[in-house]
Amino acid sequence: MTAIAFAQPDAAILARRDAIVAGLAALVPSDVLITNPDECRAYETDAFTAYRRMPMAVLLPRSTQEVAAIMAFCQEQGVNVVARGAGTSLAGGAIPQEDAVVIGVSRLNRVLEFDRPNRTLKVEAGITNLAVSAAVAPDGFFYAPDPSSQLACTIAGNIAMNSGGAHCLKYGVTTNNVLGATVVLADGSIVELGGDAMDMPGLDLLGLIVGSEGQLGIVTEAILRVLPLAEGARPVLFGFDTSEDAGACVAAIIGAGIVPVAMEFMDKPAIEICEAFAKAGYPLDVGAMLIIEVEGSDDEIDFTLQKIVEIANGHGVKVIKQSRSATETAQIWKGRKSAFGATGRIADYLCMDGTIPTSQLPYVLKRMSEIVAGYGLRVANVFHAGDGNLHPLILFNANDPEELAKAEMAGADILTLCVEVGGCLTGEHGVGIEKRDLMPKQFTREELDQQMRVRAVFDPQWRLNPSKVFPLENRWMPQ
Amino acid sequence: MTDFIPLSAPELAQYVRQASATGETLGVIGGGTRGLAPKDVSQIVSTSGLSGITFYEPSEMVIGARAGTPLTDVEQALADKGQMLAFEPMDHRPLMATRGQPTIGAVAACNISGPRRVSAGAARDHLIGIEMVNGRGEIIRSGGRVMKNVTGLDLVKLNAGAQGSLGILTEVIFKLMPIREQSLTLCWHGLDEADAIALMGEAMGTPFEIDAAAHIPDYGEEQGARTLLRLEGFAPSCTYRFKQLARLFSHHGQPEKIEGEKARALWRMVANAEPFTSPDFAHVLRVHIAVSKAPRLLEYASGWGVRTLIDWSGGLIWLGLEPDTDIAQWRQQIAALGGHARLVRSSQVPGPAFASPDEKIAGLMSGIKHAFDPAGIFNPGIL
Amino acid sequence: MQTQFAPERLADSQMAESEKILRSCVHCGFCTATCPTYLLEGDELDSPRGRIYLIKDMLENDKPASADVVKHVDRCLSCLSCMTTCPSGVHYMHLVDHARAHIEKTYRRPLADRFIRAVLAAILPYPNRFRAALALGRLGQPLAPVLAKLPGGERLKSMLALVPQKLPRAPKPTQQNLAAAKKGRVALLAGCAQQVLDPEINAATTRLLNRLGIEIADTKDTGCCGALVHHMGKEHQGHVAAKRAIDAWWPEIEAGKLDAIIITASGCGTTIKDYGFMLRDDPDYAHKAKAVSELALDITQYLATLDLPKGEPREEVIAYHSACSMQHGQQIRDEPKNLLKTAGFTVKDVPEGHICCGSAGTYNILQPGFATRLRDRKVKNIERVAPDLIATGNIGCMTQIGTGTDIPIIHTIQVLDWAYGGPKPAALG
Ligand SMILES: Cc1cc2nc3c(=O)[nH]c(=O)nc-3n(C[C@H](O)[C@H](O)[C@H](O)COP(=O)(O)OP(=O)(O)OC[C@H]3O[C@@H](n4cnc5c(N)ncnc54)[C@H](O)[C@@H]3O)c2cc1C
Ligand code: SF4
Ligand code: SF4
Repeated sequence: MTAIAFAQPDAAILARRDAIVAGLAALVPSDVLITNPDECRAYETDAFTAYRRMPMAVLLPRSTQEVAAIMAFCQEQGVNVVARGAGTSLAGGAIPQEDAVVIGVSRLNRVLEFDRPNRTLKVEAGITNLAVSAAVAPDGFFYAPDPSSQLACTIAGNIAMNSGGAHCLKYGVTTNNVLGATVVLADGSIVELGGDAMDMPGLDLLGLIVGSEGQLGIVTEAILRVLPLAEGARPVLFGFDTSEDAGACVAAIIGAGIVPVAMEFMDKPAIEICEAFAKAGYPLDVGAMLIIEVEGSDDEIDFTLQKIVEIANGHGVKVIKQSRSATETAQIWKGRKSAFGATGRIADYLCMDGTIPTSQLPYVLKRMSEIVAGYGLRVANVFHAGDGNLHPLILFNANDPEELAKAEMAGADILTLCVEVGGCLTGEHGVGIEKRDLMPKQFTREELDQQMRVRAVFDPQWRLNPSKVFPLENRWMPQ
Repeated sequence: MTDFIPLSAPELAQYVRQASATGETLGVIGGGTRGLAPKDVSQIVSTSGLSGITFYEPSEMVIGARAGTPLTDVEQALADKGQMLAFEPMDHRPLMATRGQPTIGAVAACNISGPRRVSAGAARDHLIGIEMVNGRGEIIRSGGRVMKNVTGLDLVKLNAGAQGSLGILTEVIFKLMPIREQSLTLCWHGLDEADAIALMGEAMGTPFEIDAAAHIPDYGEEQGARTLLRLEGFAPSCTYRFKQLARLFSHHGQPEKIEGEKARALWRMVANAEPFTSPDFAHVLRVHIAVSKAPRLLEYASGWGVRTLIDWSGGLIWLGLEPDTDIAQWRQQIAALGGHARLVRSSQVPGPAFASPDEKIAGLMSGIKHAFDPAGIFNPGIL
Repeated sequence: MQTQFAPERLADSQMAESEKILRSCVHCGFCTATCPTYLLEGDELDSPRGRIYLIKDMLENDKPASADVVKHVDRCLSCLSCMTTCPSGVHYMHLVDHARAHIEKTYRRPLADRFIRAVLAAILPYPNRFRAALALGRLGQPLAPVLAKLPGGERLKSMLALVPQKLPRAPKPTQQNLAAAKKGRVALLAGCAQQVLDPEINAATTRLLNRLGIEIADTKDTGCCGALVHHMGKEHQGHVAAKRAIDAWWPEIEAGKLDAIIITASGCGTTIKDYGFMLRDDPDYAHKAKAVSELALDITQYLATLDLPKGEPREEVIAYHSACSMQHGQQIRDEPKNLLKTAGFTVKDVPEGHICCGSAGTYNILQPGFATRLRDRKVKNIERVAPDLIATGNIGCMTQIGTGTDIPIIHTIQVLDWAYGGPKPAALG
């Protein structure tokens, strides 16, 4: 196992484990602190299970003040801290390390305030993404960023990863839908960034926190933009013979000035996997499929769809299937959103997350198959086609260390390819440990240093999620 | 009044290295239309030599341009392909009585957005990539040309709105939106501010996709008060939404339908805060505030008989103040409501633009400034 | 997920099965969000993914169960909400059954815990003993505050709280009015606790089926189906019960005389439908068990095949509470609601309907704290739809929810029997 290294645990901290645990126990109610190794084990990894590290202790605080007290204590004691939401990171972002404590925010899950005219909802950050939408649904609102993991993942995790989802083509990703955040800094102080007004002046610290992967502080509350639900929405399935046809169709739709709420791509293996689970009526006799969703009143939907259908016809579409009921719509999205999990039925997978310029789609799809086949593995593709965010799932057998190594190498090759064609390593899952050592492919030494200098403003000692994002060598530290 | 006009990022980087070695301070200007001529600096750098669109992919909805590219060049290129910068950047020239060409780099550096911000997001939401030169004279790229990118810390957001305090932008990359087939404006006449705010707030909560919402109060001119909702999209969709909204708010009277150049002129006036061009308004304050708290501020303003203009469905309020107004007191009022005021035009010397009342936050900001610009050579005084 | 079982340990078929289940879990965490105990605690240890991980560690390394692992596995309701949610098809039920058996073998529970479990296992599955115990229980109710102070007393107290004030008489339902044209023949699981707590359920079933021309085979008494003990990890006792039930039905099945085995308690249904798996390695019973599981149907599944006539609209608004064993265990969702709607009722879904009411077999006795919090949450959600009555298909839920609300809670079959000409359920006054 473990081709990716973690920082060497600090022996001095390990030696003081008992004293540290006792200090924490004095700080918080007993059911906030988990120290028994049997129990800590459940927190040793996230959804990137190829890697795991036992934490020293796990804390599940119930208030911002508790988080602050723990952070202050850890700072004083020199203990590392790894923040955790629901532990659904696919990049290993929430994997702890032996000399760290985990601070989980899952109990901070209350809705605090709905400001309807302002279209904002204030929540505690451990609330799940879907629970946010559920909270405002009776008022006809929803929270737009919808990662496939939205049932389980937390707003805290979404903020840390700047998560996206199928519907972000129209509504933007997390960073475009967060107005404010309460953050506990490394020294235990509490700051409120942004607020309930738009575009606060000064340096955009909130914009920096979003996507910072738990390295700058612990997010405990957030003010989110919520939007009115559309009158209706209808997904349509478009089946094509080849991925190239589907890719060209996407470019043509955007070129025609149409921005659907979602455009999702699946190749044949992915269609088969998802259909087997969700029974959504995906066409099985095509080489690639797009799920395109449009919104509005029935007439508006019909009108827009007609335009899309015309374009699709010009690109050799083979099958067109509209959802005819709310249940069918739910099934269609269930299939898409379960794509990764459903893949688990047939194999282990590594999920890549590179983004490429959409004009490069046909070339990259072809190269990816070649790369993966070159390692003797298979790949299934599901991705957000409108914005070029790829999710090739490299299928392998986790119980075969050699296959894991091959899968990792194939993944690295694919991400390198994404960067080479003008894209990036990760579009929404974050760097975590998974892509950490590939960072120099995308950034120069100066650029990495610049990012680390900014990081150091918040955490000069590298105490917060220290093994992530930046390669372990050449780390910049203030003199 | 310009000391140096770099023609490339490496050239600028070299210049910055020299400047920092010799203890110079640098002011950056783009088109100079915001009237923010840098003061108290030893050298002024203009981005005008860094001009030109670097790439434009209509099918990917992205454009890259060097920082000094005139905004009009960018907008023209986009319009030719039926696309636009969705955040509708404001043009400061009428308000500031300045000349020259706004540049795309300044739009990014100052996070300048107009009426569509309320539905489509701000400039910072559309800025997806930058190239800049930092205070060490290094060329730093962050983000890129793809719409989704979470690789590393988001230095793009940090620089959007930093007003050049962290470095000099040399290239910016924006994502784009198609220009919609039709644009329709609903206009209700004669509503008072409270009614207008209520109408706009409610409308923003309907499924009818309001593109922009503004209120021009009664300035004692012929037109009276006007409450505007803009709709954009395919023609049948606009017509449908127009009807729905007209019905929904029929208790405020039948809205007038405004289209074409007349509508564009109205929205330009809102975007560019044209009601405040007169020099009688010694201070023009731009206030960002929660919509739900706007009525309280407006009430306060009406107590003073102050001229207002309301955009972003109440989230942005312009105030025109008399010469001897106690600005600090206004700031206090606004801060108490969780809002923030920026003195866009004033006979007074404005304080530091980024002053944060929270010491901790102020500390973080100056730490970041130092992380980019250790010698403090760029636009000193902003922080 | 990667596993590291020593090859020789996989020779054991149950271990091999569990390894397969663990391999299919991708650790995505989706299931945490729909787990009742995670909703209450916000601790992954009390979530399916956490439990799976603890179980993995225990089985993989052949560790005896530790007190902490037991604590978190015990808190699991076996509601199987996680199985409905899991996109990977992880068979949590079989895994947790294995874990419970492993715990039973390797862990010595504290005395009070052992005691109460033994009592439950010795009483609940046996209707006569249960009836007697309940009579005693009523005597004991005034003692509850005192008992609560003893070790394990909280549980005794909650056990007593569940004891109904009045025990219905228990006549064996007789066949009557069998319609002239016989349309089918089924066996009806008599059950154990349900027989005692509410004999009207099977009586109503008999009446309605008879009226529809369905004959009920007079099979030997099956006794308890084994679900109660099985969930306590008492594997052997569970198998014995299953075999007894199979033996009771087998002659009829072998003779090809049964269309279905009808179950009116969904908790039992889930287990009987799993007999085939439970006894897969038993050379004498494997094929019989499989046949039984294939014939087993919840009463509403069976009725759905019979095309009941559409009834006149009625004024009662029913909140339909889907038992976990119904919606998750057997994946039965629409049939009961459709039947009630066809009969003329207005049927409302309960918000957060996928979350357990806390009954879960003996759970409300063994984990009273969690059970009560879940019950209160459930009652609040039910009350939000302001129903005239609550219909559900599981006796456990009826008892559990009944202790938290005054809204009458009635078995779906009794409501249907009433709508199609049977007597009005007593609970409706
Ligand atoms: C099946 C599956 C599908 C997915 N689909 C998508 C998708 O469509 N789009 C997408 O963007 N992602 C997707 N993800 C990835 C993942 O769900 C997201 O990254 C999510 O935002 C993580 O949230 P979490 O609550 O699980 O956070 P965790 O995994 O617990 O943590 C993620 C990161 O956030 C940090 N963090 C957690 N809490 C805090 C806090 N309070 N303050 C500061 N930092 C914190 C952690 O340290 C870690 O670095 C998917 C994952 C899975 C398993
Ligand atoms: S949902 Fe399924 S695959 Fe995902 S963690 Fe839970 S059991 Fe495992
Ligand atoms: S069976 Fe129910 S309680 Fe047990 S882990 Fe699954 S969802 Fe949670």
